[in-house]
Amino acid sequence: MSAFVRGVGTSHFGKQRDTPPTRLAAIAIREALEDAGITDPSRIEAAFVGTVFGAAGGGIRALHAGGITRVPTLTLESACASGTSAFAEAVHAVRSGRYEVVLCLGVEHMTSQFGGAIHPEQTDPEGRSGLALPALYAMTASRYLAEGAVTHEQLAQVSVKNHANALANPRAQYAGSHSIAEVLSSPMIADPLTLLQCCPISDGAAAAVIAAAPSEGGVEVMSVAEGTGRPWGNGSPHVWGFDLVAETARSAYEQAGLSAADVDVLEVHDAFTIGEIVTTEALGFASVGGGGELVERGVTAKGGAHVVNPSGGLLSRGHPLGATGLAQLAEIVWQLRGQAGDRQVPGATVGLVETMGGGASGVDGNACVVALLQGKGQR
Amino acid sequence: MSTNLDPLDPRPRIEPDGRIAGQRCTACRRASIHPVQRCPACGADLERAGFEPTGAVWASTVVRIPVPGREPPFGLCYVDLDDGPRVLAHVRGIDEPVPVGRRVQVRGMTDQGDLEVEPT
Repeated sequence: MSAFVRGVGTSHFGKQRDTPPTRLAAIAIREALEDAGITDPSRIEAAFVGTVFGAAGGGIRALHAGGITRVPTLTLESACASGTSAFAEAVHAVRSGRYEVVLCLGVEHMTSQFGGAIHPEQTDPEGRSGLALPALYAMTASRYLAEGAVTHEQLAQVSVKNHANALANPRAQYAGSHSIAEVLSSPMIADPLTLLQCCPISDGAAAAVIAAAPSEGGVEVMSVAEGTGRPWGNGSPHVWGFDLVAETARSAYEQAGLSAADVDVLEVHDAFTIGEIVTTEALGFASVGGGGELVERGVTAKGGAHVVNPSGGLLSRGHPLGATGLAQLAEIVWQLRGQAGDRQVPGATVGLVETMGGGASGVDGNACVVALLQGKGQR
Repeated sequence: MSTNLDPLDPRPRIEPDGRIAGQRCTACRRASIHPVQRCPACGADLERAGFEPTGAVWASTVVRIPVPGREPPFGLCYVDLDDGPRVLAHVRGIDEPVPVGRRVQVRGMTDQGDLEVEPT
């Protein structure tokens, strides 16, 4: 059985401390329902919510604010991939015939939780030792640099590209025409990652309507794969998270009967610059150590063969954890419908969404979701 | 005072003989430093093991942002222990990351209860 993305919607992304998460969620839900042509919210048969740091019951409050009550509701937490996990479960529920029309919601209000970076989790062995998330990715970057698998300039190029892409995204938290030198000379966060190579904390929400029946201009979910990492850290040859993304992607490509070469546009997990480079390798767009050259040659830039993060990505659009996966999905749906405005990748037909969540040490990632989507083609 | 006396503290500990306390799988021989009850790789039972306090830096950074309860900057590295797993360790008094590949040895625990290494 097939599943289609009938509608998507998002709030603005940014530091919106005075806008409660219920309001951000209601904005996203309203836009997604309208986009799906649903005037009566009671047509929604079930809801799947992704959120990480909010209070208990936050998902239900958010749905309530958006006019969705009574229906079976599941709230999922899988770190940065929470929204994408909600999407994956919604797709499976529709494909199994359990429901015909369901809602996915991702929401996060981070400025009310953190003044700066996400606090390391004190019940985690490495979190308790102060391994903040920028430091985890900095470790990966240090390893790549030492192996000659990437250069500082290639890392910075990811930030340059994504901030420039966000200039065309009115809902992005940050945007800018930065030079490689500016990126590298911004304040050091965790060596070698500088401020402009790290995503900000953000508040935002995103939603999607998944249905069994196609709509005009509908986008079909060709596949969605989920996984949790195997044990990591006993002489693991690959950097943290690489194998999880690679294995999840393999499953997604196989189910869809597609390969990396077929993908026109991608939204991937670039919480830190090194993340985008490693991810493009794990997704099969380059061999290990080839991701830096990919961005340097412009393959992943606007006008390239595989445009990565046309929205600006997490680095520039912002990264309200629970909302991120569905914001990525929204961007790909707009791209595949030809509705992405000045960000439009001409002729985009096949899109990919990848999100990777971490924070539990000992495993190669808390969760990874990779989805392949296909539009009807637009020229 | 070492916070490592807290029974809920999940961080690695050092045995009186100077080795790092851990476990090894009775089936696949995989070493674990985390407080696990079964082998995370194959699911078999575990036996206690101690790992030599020497190894090589696998990856390295200096954290320069505020982290609750800690004063930046502080050095962190992943160390591949010579006969054990990869462990996260602090490095004292550095302004630049310890080079990847550098030999290190465990010098003890920090005042805050973290494993600490120094270059050899």
